[in-house]
Amino acid sequence: MRRGRARRLTGFGLTLPASVFVFAFMVYPIASVVFLSVHDYSPLRSSATTFTGLANYAWLLGSDLVHQSIWITVVFTVVSVAIELAIGLALAVLLARAVIEARSRTGRVLVRLLSSAYILPFATPAVAGAIAWKILLHPQFGPVDALLHTDIAWFAQFPLASVIVADAWKTMPFVLFLLFAAVLSIEPEQYEAARLDGANGWQEFRYLTFPLILPVVAVTAAFRAVDAFTKIFDTVFVTTGGGPANDTQVFPLLIWRTTFDFLDFGHASALAVAAILVSAVLGAGLLALRRASTA
Amino acid sequence: MTVAIRRRPAIASQTVVVAVLVVAAVAILLPFMWLAVSSLKTEAEIFANPLAIVQTLTLSNYASLFAQFHFGIATVNSILISLGVVGISVALGGLAAYGFSRYPFRGSRLLLGGLLVTRMVTPAALVVPLYLMMNALGLLNNLVSIILGIAVLNLPFVVWVLRPFFDALPHEIEEAGLVDGLSPLGVFFRIAVRLAAPGLLTVAILSFIAGWTDLLFPISFSTTPEAGALTSGLLQMQTGYKIYWGSLMAGGVYLTLPTLALSFALQKYLIQGMRLGY
Repeated sequence: MRRGRARRLTGFGLTLPASVFVFAFMVYPIASVVFLSVHDYSPLRSSATTFTGLANYAWLLGSDLVHQSIWITVVFTVVSVAIELAIGLALAVLLARAVIEARSRTGRVLVRLLSSAYILPFATPAVAGAIAWKILLHPQFGPVDALLHTDIAWFAQFPLASVIVADAWKTMPFVLFLLFAAVLSIEPEQYEAARLDGANGWQEFRYLTFPLILPVVAVTAAFRAVDAFTKIFDTVFVTTGGGPANDTQVFPLLIWRTTFDFLDFGHASALAVAAILVSAVLGAGLLALRRASTA
Repeated sequence: MTVAIRRRPAIASQTVVVAVLVVAAVAILLPFMWLAVSSLKTEAEIFANPLAIVQTLTLSNYASLFAQFHFGIATVNSILISLGVVGISVALGGLAAYGFSRYPFRGSRLLLGGLLVTRMVTPAALVVPLYLMMNALGLLNNLVSIILGIAVLNLPFVVWVLRPFFDALPHEIEEAGLVDGLSPLGVFFRIAVRLAAPGLLTVAILSFIAGWTDLLFPISFSTTPEAGALTSGLLQMQTGYKIYWGSLMAGGVYLTLPTLALSFALQKYLIQGMRLGY
C-alpha cells in the first residue's frame, strides 16, 4: 500500500516539470486569449481594454474576409493532402517493390540513394523550400516559364495552386516513408500466393497491397490533413504573403496579420479561440482514431 | 523451366520500376538543386537566360550574407535557439514520458491525453497571447521568448514519440536497479536513458530541426538583428521595393545545409521519428 502511493507520487513528480511548463506557456496564454476575445484591445487606437461581449465573435461569423480565409484553408488542405497521398502512395509501393526485388549489391545501394533523395524536401526548412519554388516559378528567370516559353507569374496568377505545389513537395516524403513502412510489413508469402494465382502488378496492388495498408493510409491522411489545416504558415508567408488580394490568406496567416499588421488583439483573439477549438476537436478525433487503429 | 519463364518479365518490369523511381528522385531533388546552383551565379547571370550553363562560379552571394545581412549573429542565435529547444524538450519531455510510461497515477491518462491534444494547437493562435505575455515579462527581442514559444509547441510531440518508446523497453533491468537501492530518478538517469538512447537521439534531432527552421516566433517576438534568427533574417532580403535574389538563394542554401547534413548522417533516426511521430 505504501509502495503504491510512492509509485503514484513518483509518476506525478516526473511529469510535473512538463505539466508546469505547458500550463505556464500554453494553458494560461490560451485562457488569457479567451478573456481577450470578449474585449476590444487595439493599441494603435487606444491603450484601453474594453469589454465588448461577443462582438468579436459576431464580426468573425459575419466577415467575408474570415469566410474566404476558411474556404482557402479547406481547399488548400484537401488538394495538398490528395496530391501528397497520390504521389506518396505510388512511390512507396514502387520503392517497396524495388527493395524486395533488389537482390544484388548495386540494387541495394540504388535503393538507399533513392530514399536519401526522397527525404530531401522533409529535411529542407519550409522557408528555404519556399524560396526555391519562388525562383523555379519566377516569370523572368524561372526555368519553368523558360521551358514552356511563357512568362506566367505563377504565384500571382495561380497563387493557391502554386502554394499547394510547394507545400506538397515539402510534405510528401512524410507520407511516402510512412506508407513505405506499411507496405514492407506485408508478409512476402502473400505476394507469392497472389503470383501463383496469376495476379499482375496492378491486381496485386488493388486486391492485396492497398486493402492491407488502408488503415495506415487513413491515419496518415487524417494526420496530414489536421497538420496542413492548423499549421500552414511559412510557405505562404514567404511566397505570396497571403496575396494577391488575400487569395492565399490561410487561417493561421489571417490570425497573424490581424495581430501584427493591424495590432487588433480583440479580433485576433476571437480568431485564435476559433482556431484552438478546431485544433482541440481535430486533435481529440485524431487521438481516438490512432487508438482505434493501433488497438 | 517455369522459373525461367517467370523471371524474365519480372526483370523487365523491375527496370521500369527503377526508371520511374529515378525520374521521381530527380524531380524531387530539382527545386533544391536549382536553388543551390543558382546561388553560385552572379546576379547578372541569375537574371540572364535561366537555362544557360553557369559561366562563372562565385561565392559572393554567400559573402553578402555576412557583410550585409547580419548572418554571423543570426547563425549564433539560431544555434542557441535550437539548443535551447533541444534542452527543454528532451529534459522535460524525457522525464514526463518516462513517468507516464512507468508510474501511472490518478488522472495521468487524462493528463497525457490533454498534453497530446495540445500538439494540434495552431501555432499562430498561441502567438497572440504569448506575445502579450512576453511583452509584459520584458522578453521581446530576447532569444528566451523565442525558445520558450518553440519549445512549448514541441514538447507534446516529444512526449508523444517517447512514451511508446519507453513502453517498449524491458522492465526487468530497471526493477533490478530499484531492488539494488537506486531511486526512481537514479534508475531513469543510469538505466532508462541509456536504453532509450536511440529514441532520445531521434527526439533531439527533430527538436533541433524544429528550432532551426522556425519562422513564426522569430518574426513575431524579435524586431532587431541582434535577436533575429536565420529564417527571419532571410525575409530581410525581400523588401517592398527590392528583392536581393542572389543573397536570398545563398541564404536559403545556408539555412538548409545543417538540416540536410543531419538528415543524411542520421537518416535512420529521422525516418524512425516520422514513424513514431504520427
